Amino acid sequence: MRATDVSFRYRRGDPWVLSGASLDLAPGAVAEITGPNGTGKSTLLRLLAGLLRPVRGLIEERPAVIGYAPERFPSAQPFTVAAYLRHMAAIRRVAVPEELTARLGMDHLLGQKLPDLSKGSAHKVGLAQALAGEPGLLILDEPFAGLDVTARAELSVIVTEIAARGGIVVASDHQGDLRAVPGVTRYEVRDGKITQVARVVEDDPLTTLTIKLPQSRAAALAARLRAEGHEVS
Amino acid sequence: MIPLVTFRLSGYVRSHRIFQPLLGLLAVLSIIYATGVPAGGELPSYSDSAGILMLVFAWAARGLLDNEPDEQRLIAITAVGRRRELVAGLLAALLLTAALALVAVVFPLLVGFAETPGAADLGYGAGLHLLAVLAGTALGALTSRPVLASPAASAAVLVGGYVAILLLSSAGPWASVPVLDWMNAAHHHELPDRLGVIVASALAWSAAGLAGYAAVRRVRG
Repeated sequence: MRATDVSFRYRRGDPWVLSGASLDLAPGAVAEITGPNGTGKSTLLRLLAGLLRPVRGLIEERPAVIGYAPERFPSAQPFTVAAYLRHMAAIRRVAVPEELTARLGMDHLLGQKLPDLSKGSAHKVGLAQALAGEPGLLILDEPFAGLDVTARAELSVIVTEIAARGGIVVASDHQGDLRAVPGVTRYEVRDGKITQVARVVEDDPLTTLTIKLPQSRAAALAARLRAEGHEVS
Repeated sequence: MIPLVTFRLSGYVRSHRIFQPLLGLLAVLSIIYATGVPAGGELPSYSDSAGILMLVFAWAARGLLDNEPDEQRLIAITAVGRRRELVAGLLAALLLTAALALVAVVFPLLVGFAETPGAADLGYGAGLHLLAVLAGTALGALTSRPVLASPAASAAVLVGGYVAILLLSSAGPWASVPVLDWMNAAHHHELPDRLGVIVASALAWSAAGLAGYAAVRRVRG
């Protein structure tokens, strides 16, 4: 999938959000989109998902099956979690993502109404519908925000699996959790351009860090560090 | 596409917003048929019902199209594609307004008409309601959130648009959706003679309205 010289603004006369931005994503690529607030990360994600059309430039070779999880899941809908996921599975013509709901730790939420969910729980519903059906392009807007430690770790694993299947994953991520995924490439959106800011260096020498903290918080921190790809003993 | 139509209709009904146009529908029907319709007055009553209920159909269509949050519409577009999402929304709105029209056609058979109308009048009455369904759905779509983001502007344009259609239709069958024309024709027993022009004009205006909605959605998502 390739975005070439893409320029976008919401209305004529508005400042350009993106100007001549390019991005090349091979099958199996995992792209982390970073940048300060308001620089156009969500706009870039919507362009890649096909929800916005570039004013100039081209986005080509977009995979047919797209999963999209918005930053804020629209929970103001009159369905239970199970009914919503059933509807979305039928719309996508895929099986109800029962395995995903278990892995994201949301089975206990299935009978709850969407408007009653907490922010994190609603976010899991948004992720589950996007992940269902083996998407060839997975667009995640701040996917780790509000998730518990276990779900964050599991989401990293799921993203790795999708990439291993040849799916393209593009996610904005302020928390940096996506860096736990092997081979992730980091891009920054700034001044209307997309710049690759860092590559994962495979031969970065390892070092040992000793952390002192209250025992009650040790398990949570260890899980988080493992989710980020660190070795914890 | 059918699962998305089902999802849209289910969300609308479960949100209880269907009661708004349903109350409007029952109010209009109660007024039209409160004193009963003597034999021979069935088709004029049907034509009045179709003309007035076009506003209720537009209200219902707009309510259904605006019922789901914007982010859910984006999720649906990624799931089925832009064109299918648009068509599914319109199809759901048409099914809803057609169901309301069915109530409007059946209601007087039970409580309003002194005599059951003949098959021809029943057919004409149903046909006029179908024209109102198409025109009302187009008006509702043109005032839905992707086109008019402000709820106040949307409501004003919906009611104002309906009034404008009524006023313009007095100028001739092609000036707008020919609502007054079909009412006049039905009241003067001229509907079979003028039906061709009325149907052609109503279909053309409805198609133009739906095409305008599709064009705006193509730009604004």
